[in-house]
This record gives sequence, structure tokens and C-alpha cells, in this order.
Amino acid sequence: MLTFLTFFPLLGVLALLLLKPLKKDSDNAIKGIAIGTSALTFLISVALLLQFNTSDPALQFVQQASWIPTWGIQYYMGVDGISILMVLLTTIISLLAIIASWSAIKEQKLMYYVLMLLLQVGMMGVFLAQDLFLFYIFWEFTLIPMYFMIGIWGGQRRVYAAIKFFLYTMAGSLLMLLAILYMGITNETFAVPDLINGREAFANVQTWLFLGFGIAFAIKVPIFPFHSWLPDAHTEAPTAGSVILAGVLLKMGTYGFIRFNLPLFPQASVDFAPLIAVLAIIGIIYGAMVAFAQKDAKKLVAYSSISHLGFVMLGIFALNSAGVQGGILQGFNHGISSGALFFIVGVLYEQRHTRMMKDYGGVWRIMPIFTALTLIVVLSSMGLPGLNGFVGEFSILLGSMGAVSLSPAWVYTAFATTGVILAAVYLLWMFQRVFMGPLENEENKKLRDINRRELFIMLAFLVFIFWIGIYPSPYFNVMQSTVTGLLDNMSQAVVLIAP
Amino acid sequence: MNALGLAPLILIFPVIGVLFNALFGAAFVNTDRKVGEKWSGWFATLMAFASFAIVVLLAIGLRQNEFHREIIYLFDWIRIPSFDFYARWAMQIDTLSVTMMLVVTGVGSIIHVYSIGYMHGDRNFSRYFTYLSLFLFFMLILVSGSSYLVLFVGWEGVGLCSYLLISFWFSRVDKDGVWMNANAGRKAFVVNRIGDFAIILAIILTFYTFSTLEFEPIFEQAIEIFQSGEEVVLFANETFGTPGVTVGLGTVLTIITFLFLIGATGKSAQLILHVWLPDAMAGPTPASSLIHAATMVTAGVYLIVRSNVLYELARASGVTVIGNLTSSDVVALVGASTALYAALIAFTQYDIKKVLAYSTISQLGFMIAAAGMGAYVAAIFHLITHAFFKALLFMAAGSVIHGMEHGHHEVAHEGGHDDPDFDPQDMRYMGGLKDKMRATFWPYLIGALALAGIFPFAGFWSKDEILAHASANQGNYNVFLIVYIMLTLAAMGTAFYMARQLRMVFWGKPRSEAAGHAHESSRLMTIPLAILAFFGVVAGLFNLPRFGGTAVLPQTDLILEKWLEHALLVFELAEERVLEVPHTPTSLQIDVAGISLALALIALLGGFYLYRNKPQTAADPDPTQKIPGLWSFFGRLPLNTLYMRGIVVLFNRFTHWLAGPFEWAFWHDFVHDRLIRDQFVAFANFMANVIDQYGVDGIVNGVGIVTARFAGWVRQSQTGFARSYALSIFLGAVLLLVYFLWPFLTGQ
Repeated sequence: MLTFLTFFPLLGVLALLLLKPLKKDSDNAIKGIAIGTSALTFLISVALLLQFNTSDPALQFVQQASWIPTWGIQYYMGVDGISILMVLLTTIISLLAIIASWSAIKEQKLMYYVLMLLLQVGMMGVFLAQDLFLFYIFWEFTLIPMYFMIGIWGGQRRVYAAIKFFLYTMAGSLLMLLAILYMGITNETFAVPDLINGREAFANVQTWLFLGFGIAFAIKVPIFPFHSWLPDAHTEAPTAGSVILAGVLLKMGTYGFIRFNLPLFPQASVDFAPLIAVLAIIGIIYGAMVAFAQKDAKKLVAYSSISHLGFVMLGIFALNSAGVQGGILQGFNHGISSGALFFIVGVLYEQRHTRMMKDYGGVWRIMPIFTALTLIVVLSSMGLPGLNGFVGEFSILLGSMGAVSLSPAWVYTAFATTGVILAAVYLLWMFQRVFMGPLENEENKKLRDINRRELFIMLAFLVFIFWIGIYPSPYFNVMQSTVTGLLDNMSQAVVLIAP
Repeated sequence: MNALGLAPLILIFPVIGVLFNALFGAAFVNTDRKVGEKWSGWFATLMAFASFAIVVLLAIGLRQNEFHREIIYLFDWIRIPSFDFYARWAMQIDTLSVTMMLVVTGVGSIIHVYSIGYMHGDRNFSRYFTYLSLFLFFMLILVSGSSYLVLFVGWEGVGLCSYLLISFWFSRVDKDGVWMNANAGRKAFVVNRIGDFAIILAIILTFYTFSTLEFEPIFEQAIEIFQSGEEVVLFANETFGTPGVTVGLGTVLTIITFLFLIGATGKSAQLILHVWLPDAMAGPTPASSLIHAATMVTAGVYLIVRSNVLYELARASGVTVIGNLTSSDVVALVGASTALYAALIAFTQYDIKKVLAYSTISQLGFMIAAAGMGAYVAAIFHLITHAFFKALLFMAAGSVIHGMEHGHHEVAHEGGHDDPDFDPQDMRYMGGLKDKMRATFWPYLIGALALAGIFPFAGFWSKDEILAHASANQGNYNVFLIVYIMLTLAAMGTAFYMARQLRMVFWGKPRSEAAGHAHESSRLMTIPLAILAFFGVVAGLFNLPRFGGTAVLPQTDLILEKWLEHALLVFELAEERVLEVPHTPTSLQIDVAGISLALALIALLGGFYLYRNKPQTAADPDPTQKIPGLWSFFGRLPLNTLYMRGIVVLFNRFTHWLAGPFEWAFWHDFVHDRLIRDQFVAFANFMANVIDQYGVDGIVNGVGIVTARFAGWVRQSQTGFARSYALSIFLGAVLLLVYFLWPFLTGQ
């Protein structure tokens, strides 16, 4: 099932590659196949979710086969409560991103959609692989399609941004590879569950291993101060690229912390928690402040990601079930809300070819439907209760206030909560500059309101914004037992110095 | 079925209203304005009245239920069983929430009708009614939620509607090109969020203390813990086996109630977070009337009254915030200072709506002070009467502005000239409107007298109850005396600035051509004024005090107090002698009432005399400018200036520094590009050159060569060979790894 799900998009890739020899590579055929493949992948992931047993904390749908026996490397796939939401997020965001590319991508369409589908394979593999080596291959693999997407279909400084994205992430990954090889070779297995059971063996060097993994993930998230690649990559990437980057790729970092750092290096996780929480909170405040001062709407959204991801990290390192579950959910929420925000900027950019907020103003009068939907997305990103962002943020703050890993936890929480004020500051400022004010620029009077395809994408985002905001119980149910199991398991190997 | 089961309908009707106007309203209005406006406006109004009708049924149902509260469970919200956290969507129907609902839907419905007249011809007519319905929805969630978390949903939701309505005419610019309406809306939202920050923390702390966020279980537990004298354990963690922190109940409650106060200062525009409310007047006047006078801004008062048990226990515990002040004392002082401060600022305002805005801030101060002194019934009583007479004043002011605008258009039409700085809201351009707009004048006069606390209008009774409470308990509680004095002075100031306003607007000769041509607004606007004026006269009956211990009218004897005591647990606590709470006198205190009435009359008549023929023009100085400090300090809005010129400017400068020089020039360009990338490239070039020139192949080992070669490619990549750049790093890295791991690999 999981192998089928992960590699299903390859069928679409195959079909796309066959189009050219068959001389049927019309635009609609290319887009049709890409959308069809991605939609089917989404349906498969929903089928997976329906069969998923929420009360079982362990890995499910496990597929295991020996791969390189001499080194103890396996083909090991499995899904549990930590990864299933991420898988779902991947299939949703990929589908929406592919639909969103419909009219935005005008050159080399075939290659573009091939890369999109390949990227989807890579992302799914990252969330499903349970063998460190396999994980690493998927992890690095996702870089390649993204690198080309930025480098070929990106903005003016695309090459610079693509290289920076690639090198920055790669540099972090190398340390992780070192850590992976060390653990795999000394334990003669790369299987994560086995390594967790045998974590005593490398407990004495866990600080170093934690750092090896942690820096790779910190760059991906990105945690302040490792965020320097993000504004470049986001602003230069095509709309769909930004949607996927914010929606899914950043979550690979937060997912990595939960999947690997917490269970493999529990003591180091507790010891590093204050440092990471401080960096996360700096990220919340710093990201928000820098976002506020931007002139470019896309860059503003990019910096807002740093702020939002700070919340996710704080939740994870609160090390209690409210914090971790809130963190996972907020990761999902951020995928939806920021994905939607990037899409919104894309809709405007496609028509006006500018992302500078000063070029807009008064758009509300020309695009009332689009503006109304945008407002809801902005409010979701601001954490208005009743919409998705609030549920995640609140759970995280709830968790962080009672975090045993942070002392005094209330100080951390109070600082993090200022993010709530700052989010209103920069998001409303953006909304005002683009949509409110007088309609002075003649160019803006020619804007058309969104078409049916764009409306569909917006509504798809809104479904999740409202659903998670009003009735998030199913989401917590799915994660609950795995997260509880993870924390119990961690607590057995942790010595806490009482605050 | 019990009538209380109908409660969800009060939320469903406004939602239907929102959907109707959001989906079809614009289409209706655009196809046929006349018919479209009717459908759009009256449909929303019908939904408001429908909600009101249900609320009336709820009130009757509550009476049949012998005033027992009912929790209407809807469905689960945030459920984290592994954290024992359960939040649900549920409504609490008790006498307090129904009282608030009656005010909200009652005044709300009347304002809907008025709005149909006021907004006639506006391009975004249906959008306005969408917001109004949305506001009702969130306000009803706020007052009916059965937990702090659901209350917070309404709390933020009404903030959103406030934002949307303030910036309703978002394309307006002032003569300097500033987007003032959009800015005002944003300011309101952001300042409110500062208060919300405290509320979020308070809610989380409440959960850790009581393991629930539902009102009644929290209050019951708080009383139980108080009686047992035990301490509270916070933040214990079973998974990791940490014991948590043990603190006294009084400490926790003091922190929680203090945080709630900060939240209330945001929403209810108290010092020092009041700065958003005067700007909020940029919105359509009926919205100012409903949201920024009658209902939303009283949410902070509701929050404190709802938490009455927590405030009283915090007071009884004696834990202090600063000096010897308990959190309740701080509440009372904040309210009283706001009441006085805003009243003084109102002296210096010329904009008819700004005077009313500062007056609202001042009156909210009365309510907050009352709540802080434990006069919860008086706070709600004043909230109700204020909702009537202040909504009335705003709507009548809207009618005046409408009249002035029409007059202005007429003058322009006839080719006449008016002052180029003409502003239809500036009272200096008004005058003599008494005879031109009679249907507006009489309600305005009633509203003004009610606000000024003149016998026998509504405001007299509710204000007096607050003053009587302060005066009667001042011997037992240290801050009550000062609060009493401040409130009495504020009440006197209120009468003065209302006299000034009445005189400038309605008496004398018209001071502009527009005022000379002003005429009465439509019936849709004046009939709602008449209805509210009626309540402005009689609303005092809702809680008429006894005279010398005997009820004047047995049927109306302290209705509100007897009604609310079923919802306010403090009454029960006082009766069971669990703790001492300050009691409000049930009989009229002749001395207190006499002093305040006399002072109000003096101020009213004095003001009326002082402004008999002043100021005549915009350049003419105001008579109160002779009072030292009044105009030079209060007239310059010190706190607003501090906010706009201090905090906002500093924040702008700092964030731009952070984003420009620090984040981009230093961290992004210098550290990453200059320091890391360029140094790496230089190093690679150096290596490559050394090898090429001196041919030291034999010295440098194989790994070194490969790395250097690949690094040489890096330089090329600067001119565009991106792929080779990336690939080289990847391969180089793999080789490095092999090198480092060689011992492991060979060791086996």
C-alpha cells in the first residue's frame, strides 16, 4: 500500500514521457495526466487514512525488505500518527499546486510536471521511510526537482536562489549523513524502530548525533538563524514551488525532529529544548518583525513562515502531548494557510507581474470575491479563533506553558504569545496595502476577479481552514496514541533536573 | 421541549443573514438598487429580530425553569484526551447571558432598521449588512459561550467585525493622502490584540489551575479550594514524573484576574489601551452606535462580571498586585481613572462623534469601576441604560451628520459657498439645528440628559447605584473613597461636555450655510431614535431602588438584581457567609444622589451658559481654554500621541532596521555571500592555483585534488554553471565522508 502510494506518481511520469514519442504532447494532455495522477494519489492517501487504526501507536502498513544486507540497510516503509497527516498534507498540497500551475507555467511544461510528480514521490518517501538510509535518499532526492523548479521557472534571480537553496540544505544534510552512517554502522541496522530500542548504545554521544540531525532539520524548518536561504528560494520560486516549499518541504524539518531527534536522542532533546525554544521564539518575533518591513508581498509571506514555524518548534520541544500534537497540527495548518497565501500572491502576480505591495491598493473593489476569500486566509494565518491557525497555536501555547523541558515555562510562553500581536500587525498591513485604499493605479482597474479554477483552489484551502478551526477532533485523534507513545518512550530514558 | 433548547437558533439566524448577503446581496443591489437594498437590508433586519424573538423566549423559558441555568451542548471543539483537555462548543443560558443577549439583539435590531435609512445609496450596501449580521453572530457567541475559550471566539470575532466596519470605507483618504479609515481599522485590531495576548495567557493559566475552561466548574472548584484552604498544584507532568509548582489560590487568581483586566482594557477601551476607540469613529455611524458604544465595547465589563467569583476570591485572599491593591482594586482604579480622563478629553473635542466616543470611554470606565468594586449588578445596570442612551446619541448624531451633509450638498448645488474646511462632523459648523431637525433634537436631548445623570432619566439611576455602592462601602475597602470622588467628578464633567455639545449643535444661529440648509432625516432613521428615547427615559425602572427601604412599585422592585442574582455566584457566597463581599445599597442614598444631581445640574447649566454664544468660528477660542492644563495636556491626547508617535514610530524604525541593515545587508548579503561563499570560492581558487602552478600532485592526496577541482568548478558556477556547482559539492561531500568514515569501513 505505502509503496504503491509513494511511487504511484511515477506512473504519471511514465505516461508523460510517453507522450512525446506518441506525438500526443498537447498542453491539455500534459496537464490532464499530471492532475489526474496527483488526484489519484490523493485518493489513495485518503483510502490509507480510512484504513488507519488511530488507537494503534505503532507503525502500520509496514513493508520491509532487505536491501543492502551487508550494511543492514532495508527498504522499510511504515506510517503512524506522526506521519499520516504529513502524507495527507503532501497529497493535498501537491494536487493543488499542480492545478495552480495551469496557466502560470508557460515553458517546458512537460518537464515541469514530470518534476512535480517526482517531487511528490520524494516528499512522500521522506514521510514514510522508516530506515535512515532510505530516508536520507528520499530527503536528498526532494532537493533535485525543487532545485530545477526554482532554477528554470523561477524569477529574475532564480539561479542564485536555486544554488543557495541547494547548497544550504545540502550542507546541513551532510552532518546528518555522518550521524546516520555512524549510527547505522555501529548498530548494524538503519531501521529506526530498532535504533530506538537500541539507543543505549549511542546514548553517550547523543549530543553530537542530535546536532547532526538537528542542524539539517533546523536549516530545513528553518529555525533562526539558519533561515537565510528561505526568502530567496520563496521569492524566486514559481507560485506552485512556493506553495510546496512552504506547504510540505519545511514540514520535513519539523517532522524530522519528531520522528528522529525525540525518540533517538531523548536526553539530548530535553537538554537542547531550552536552546531550541529560545531560537524558536526569536524566530516567531524576528520573522514577524522582518515580515512587517517588507515591500514585496511574497517575501512578507516567506518571513511569516519563519514566525509560524517558530510556533511549531516551540510546541515540539514543549515535550508534552498538547505541545507536540499542536506542533504537528500547526505544521499542517501552516501548509494550508501559507500555501494559500502564496497562491494568492501568485494569482495577483500572474495578472500584474509585480509583487510589490505599493503597486496595488484598492484591489477589493475590482476583485471582491477574491478579496473576501483572501481575508479568511489572512485571518486563519493570524490565528483567529474558529479558524485553523488558532487551534494549532493555542495547543502549542497550552503545551509550552506546562513544558517540563523549559524553565520557567511561563516566560517562554509569554514571549511566544507576543507573536499573536505581531501576526496581526504584519498581516493586516499587507491586506491593507494590497486590497484597501483608493484605486489609483490604472493597471489595477484591469484586474479580473478569480476564475473557476482559482476559486476551486481557494475553496479547497478554505475547507481545511474551517474544518480544523471548528472541528479539529479527528486530527487530534489520528495523532494522539502515537504521540503519547512517543513521549512515554522518551520519558523512560530521560533524567530531569527538577526546575 | 423546553424553550431553552431553542438557543442555537439565535446563532443560526445571523449566520443565515451573513450567507444571504454575502452570496446574493451584491447581485441584488447591483441589478436593482431600490429593490435590492430592500431585500438586503430587511432580510438582515428580519434575522436580527428573529434572534431577538428567540431571546425573549429564552428569558421566559428561564423564568419557567426557575432561573436555573442550562448548558446547551452543541459539539466538541478542541479535544486532546491525552492532555485531559476538552473544549466544546456549548452555550450557557442563564440570567446574565440572556440579559446581554436582550441588549445585543434588542438594540441591534433597532440599529439594523436605522442602518437601512442611513446606508441608503452606499455602493457596498449589502457588504455592510453582511458585517452587521456577522457581528451579531459573534457577539452572541461571546455572551452565550459556556467557557472562556468560546467566549474568546466571540471576543476575537467581534474584534474582526469592528475592524471590518471601521475600515468599511477603506478607499477614503484624508487631505494628506493618509488612508485614515483603513488605518483606524487596523489600529483597532492591533491594540485589541494586545489585550487578547493577556487573555490567551489567562485562559491557559486557568486551565492549568482548574483543568477545565467551563465557567461553572471553574467557579465551583475555586470556591471549594478557597474553603478548604488548600494550595494549587500547577504544571505537574505524569509522563516525566515532575511534581509541578505549588502556589496559593489567591496568587493564581490574582494573576488570572489581572490578565483578564488587561484584556478588558483592550476591548472596553480603558486606559491605556483606549487609543483605538476615538479613531474607530471613522466607520459608519450606526456601526459606531452598535459596536463602539452599545455592545461590543461592553464585552470587557461582561468578562469581569462573568468572572465575579474569581475577582471576589482574589480580593478576599488579600494578595496584592502593587502596593496594597488587590486585582479588584486595580480594576476599580483603572475604571475610575478612565472615566475621569476621558471625560476631560471630551471637553476639548469639536467632532460631534469624537465627543461621544470619549464619553463612551468614560462611561465604560464607570462600568469597569463598578465591576471592580464588586457592584456587578450596578455594572450591568449601567451597561443596559448606557446601551440605550448612547446608541441613541450616536444614531441621533448620525442623523445630524446626515442633515449637515445634505445641507452641504444643497448649498453646493445652489452655487453657494461654504468654508473650504467644512466638515459635517465639526460642531463649530453647526448651530441652530433645534428647529430644523426636531425629530432628531428631542431624542438627542433625552439621550444627553440621561447621559448627564439628570433625574429621572435612565442614566441617573444606574450611575447613582454605582456611586452609592462606592460611598456605602468606602469604610471597608481602601480605594472606594478615591474611586467615589473620581467618578463623581467624572459625572460632573459628563454633564458639562454634554451641555457644551447641545448648545453648539442645536442652539444659537447656524454657523455655516450647510447648517442653515440642514433638514430632517428619513423616518427609517427617526423612528428608531424615538424608540430608544423612550428607553432612555424609562430604563431606570429596570432596577429602581427602594426609598427608605420600601419599594416604590412592587412589580418593579429591583428587577435586575433579583434576576441577576441567579447567575452571579457572589450573591450565593455572601448569603452562605463563605466570604465577605461589598453590598450595594438597595435604597436610594439621598445624600449621594443629591450631591451628584446637584453637581450635574450645576455643570449642565454652567456649560449651557458658558457656551451661549461661543465659539462662533473655528478660530474662536473655546471658553475652557483658560483652564490651565486642560487643552495643553488633555486636549493633545497624550496617550494617543505616545502610541502613534512613540510606539508606532519606534516599531517602524526598529523593524525596518531589522529587515534592512540587519537581516538583508548583514545576515543575508554580508555573512552568507561575502563571508561564507566568497571566502570559500577564494579558498578553492587558491588551492587550484597552487596545484596548477607548482604541480604538487604528489604532496596533496587524491581527495584533496578532487575537492580542489570541484571547488574550481564552483568559481565557474558563478557565471551560471549551477548544476556543476551543486553536483561538485555533492560529490565532494560524499568523498569527504568516505574519507572520514574509512576507519569504520575498513575496521570491520
